[in-house]
Amino acid sequence: MNGKFALEARNVSKHFGGVIAASEVNLQVSPGELRCIIGPNGAGKSTLFALLCGIQRAESGDIFIHEHNVTQMQPFKRIRLGVGLTFQTTRAFQDLSVRRNLAIPNPNLAVYKEGHQRGAKRLQIALEGFGLDPSDDTRAGELPHHKLQWLAISMVLAGYPDTVLIDEPTAGMSRDETDRTTEVLKQLNAHGLTIVVVEHDMHFVKSVAEKVTVLHQGRIFMEGNVAEVTANEDVKKIYLGHAH
Amino acid sequence: MSSKILSLIGGDADVGTSRIFWVGFVIVVILFALYPTQASEFRASNVAYYLLNIPLGLGMALLWGYCGVLSFGHVAYFGIAGYAYGIIAGNMAGNSFGPIAGVLGGLLASALVAGIFAYFVFYARVREWIIPILTLVLTLLLETFLGQTAGYQWRVGSVLLGGYNGMTGIPSFQIGSFVFMGYSFYYFCMVIVLVCYVSLRMLVNSNFGQVVFAIQQDPLRTETFGYDIRARQWLVFVLSAILASVSGLLYVQWGNYITPSQVGLLSAALPVIWASVGGRTSLLAVVIATIVLNWVTFTLSAQGNQYAMVIIGSALVITMLFFPRGIVIMAAEWIGRFTNRPTKSTGG
Amino acid sequence: MELDPLALSLIYQFGTNAAFLFLAALGLIVILGMMNIINLAHGELMMMGAYVATIAHNQAGLPFPLAVVVSFFSVALFGTVLELLIVRRFYGRELGALVVTWGLSLVLGQGTFLVFGPFMPAIKIPGGSYSYGSFSFSEYWLVLIGISIALVIGLYWLYRYTKYGLQARATMQNAEMAKALGVPTSRVYTLTFSLGAGLAGLSGALLAPTSTIAPFMGQQFVAPAFITVVVGGAANVISGAVGSSVLLSAIKTPIGMAFGAFLGTVALLVAALIIIRIMPNGISATIQKLMDRRRAASIS
Repeated sequence: MNGKFALEARNVSKHFGGVIAASEVNLQVSPGELRCIIGPNGAGKSTLFALLCGIQRAESGDIFIHEHNVTQMQPFKRIRLGVGLTFQTTRAFQDLSVRRNLAIPNPNLAVYKEGHQRGAKRLQIALEGFGLDPSDDTRAGELPHHKLQWLAISMVLAGYPDTVLIDEPTAGMSRDETDRTTEVLKQLNAHGLTIVVVEHDMHFVKSVAEKVTVLHQGRIFMEGNVAEVTANEDVKKIYLGHAH
Repeated sequence: MSSKILSLIGGDADVGTSRIFWVGFVIVVILFALYPTQASEFRASNVAYYLLNIPLGLGMALLWGYCGVLSFGHVAYFGIAGYAYGIIAGNMAGNSFGPIAGVLGGLLASALVAGIFAYFVFYARVREWIIPILTLVLTLLLETFLGQTAGYQWRVGSVLLGGYNGMTGIPSFQIGSFVFMGYSFYYFCMVIVLVCYVSLRMLVNSNFGQVVFAIQQDPLRTETFGYDIRARQWLVFVLSAILASVSGLLYVQWGNYITPSQVGLLSAALPVIWASVGGRTSLLAVVIATIVLNWVTFTLSAQGNQYAMVIIGSALVITMLFFPRGIVIMAAEWIGRFTNRPTKSTGG
Repeated sequence: MELDPLALSLIYQFGTNAAFLFLAALGLIVILGMMNIINLAHGELMMMGAYVATIAHNQAGLPFPLAVVVSFFSVALFGTVLELLIVRRFYGRELGALVVTWGLSLVLGQGTFLVFGPFMPAIKIPGGSYSYGSFSFSEYWLVLIGISIALVIGLYWLYRYTKYGLQARATMQNAEMAKALGVPTSRVYTLTFSLGAGLAGLSGALLAPTSTIAPFMGQQFVAPAFITVVVGGAANVISGAVGSSVLLSAIKTPIGMAFGAFLGTVALLVAALIIIRIMPNGISATIQKLMDRRRAASIS
């Protein structure tokens, strides 16, 4: 894979009014990694994704995708460098069929064309793992919640990215559905996909990730392997709302 | 190859995918083709007027219904094309290539203005309410400008712009020595309208069209699949301006005159009304509404009815309040529920 | 000190243009900032204000200032009815609201024509005019500039120090949150729409003596009002309206004086296109951003 890091943020800051959404954030994600980002509500997790993809512009600092400085780039150009993104609120095209939804992402827009074979393989893994039929004419808006989530993830893979940012993939899912999501994400990672995932569910975090980043009040609070982080007293405190 | 084209035409991005629908469609086209054999040249010419507005309506459906961008000023492109045709063809009077040069010049002038305008609004990523307002301002300014061009100093070559009285004596369309008038103009309009409808239906069913529809549904999501949504919105805007120009060209070839009121407030409201009443998310519904509403307004204005604007305005308010998806579409669904025929998708 | 009459005239023209743009856009921007709705019947509401003032002054014999106040309240009342019957069905559907208010504007314009005919006797411009060198100044326009400034102060007070203002700002920031905290958001919307309508009526009445009173007079306000709003943006009502009308007047005044009123208005459109290319959310959003950045800098 290209470059030392698939994704990198250097000293990235962003404010909304008086609220600090990101403050001097430094993040490095290596190719092939599966990274979890955790933190209490309002810690700036979704903002970090938005900054990485260019939906929000950083006020200071730099962002790199595969060693390209993308800080001033429009979102669609960053995506073409091989990044995929899902949103916290599930966003598929409700009025289009499952088939049409999966046809919208176009792998030919990606810059890294050598990844096509692997991209197709990963898409196949996702569709099979999630039990989605790519020729299904059902309107996306009629799918049950968890299927819609799975469709949203599969759509991202249909663009053949090498790195994906997934925001709360298991929100609102049952235990079985969560486990199935976990299983598919692990398989995708095993097939070389770099995954950064924001999640609240600690059961999910423990079962997928090796390395965890804790965000708190827009800052990186801690970074380490799952055991270290979950054992840390300060992390427990910020989740219970005692740390300052 | 040909099966691919057929599946594009018959795809489910517009209403009507069943075999029965297409049989009905062909019958209606044949009826329109036979109409001149039963009607006087005057009546055929009136129907030609209803038909020539269809591309303008289709442009609105494409832009508003499929792309989610609302323009209150597409009549500006109707007018620019009409005036440009009048200037070019008028100056080349006597030359049989004049009308063709006028058509090309008209389309080019409109596309140019639309392209520059759309560049500013789409590449700035402005909020969606700004576009209808600026388009309206543009067309009202155009009307004001054209209105004050009375007098001999406002002439281009040998053609007078004519102020509020408008430009007169605009040449009809001709190819070689054949001049399209009366019955032949009717068929000319019919062919152009059919070509516009069928090719637009292919466009909305194509991948390009599906991405455009995705932009309307969720612009940010579409962008995060790597699409430059600004470029696509720009292209759709220019395309719809070209469709408006086609109507403008046919209009001046039909009546041989054009006045600034064609780009004024009342005219600007019309395409929005056709699209609203028909149902902007269906090309065919807008075609139907365009024919019917033109027939209504033509009949009203022929009687010098001073309530025209009240009626049109009320129709718009009532449609938006009670038939937000369009009267034709909602009526079609209502009928569909009674015949209870599951429409099978043949889309590719 | 001797002032150059040309310079004085330029300043005067700048002031009147800015006051005109501000008055034309004020009601519109109040509604937009609060409810994200563009009221395309705005020009017709101004026309109604002018008609009410004309009738109250010329026919009922009210003194002109009182007639203006009557206009404010009658059009505000009409706005309340519009909001309750029609506009409230379109919250969250920006384009739908645009289309339906456009339909209303057609009905109102033509309806007035059918009821009152093509003309109304004009209102005499109150106050005199005096000249300085070769240029003459109207006292009334100087008063209008003063009233515009008073309106800015009044609105600031309204949003800052009244209960309505607090509730309106809360709703503007986060309607759902405000509702959860017990703000009657739907009443806030109704009040805002009638305030915006009332201000349109007030402006129409104030501008009535300076223009021809006719059913379609609203159209002449459409271009300047909407351009002012587009350039001002909706992030903050006061800074948007003031910033935009001052900036646009600075563009329109010299061009209008040199090349005539029509090209002055064309310059407005061109300026608007260029300004939104640089500041897509308008001047108010840019001012807001600068203030936020300063505040953020002071925090960290």
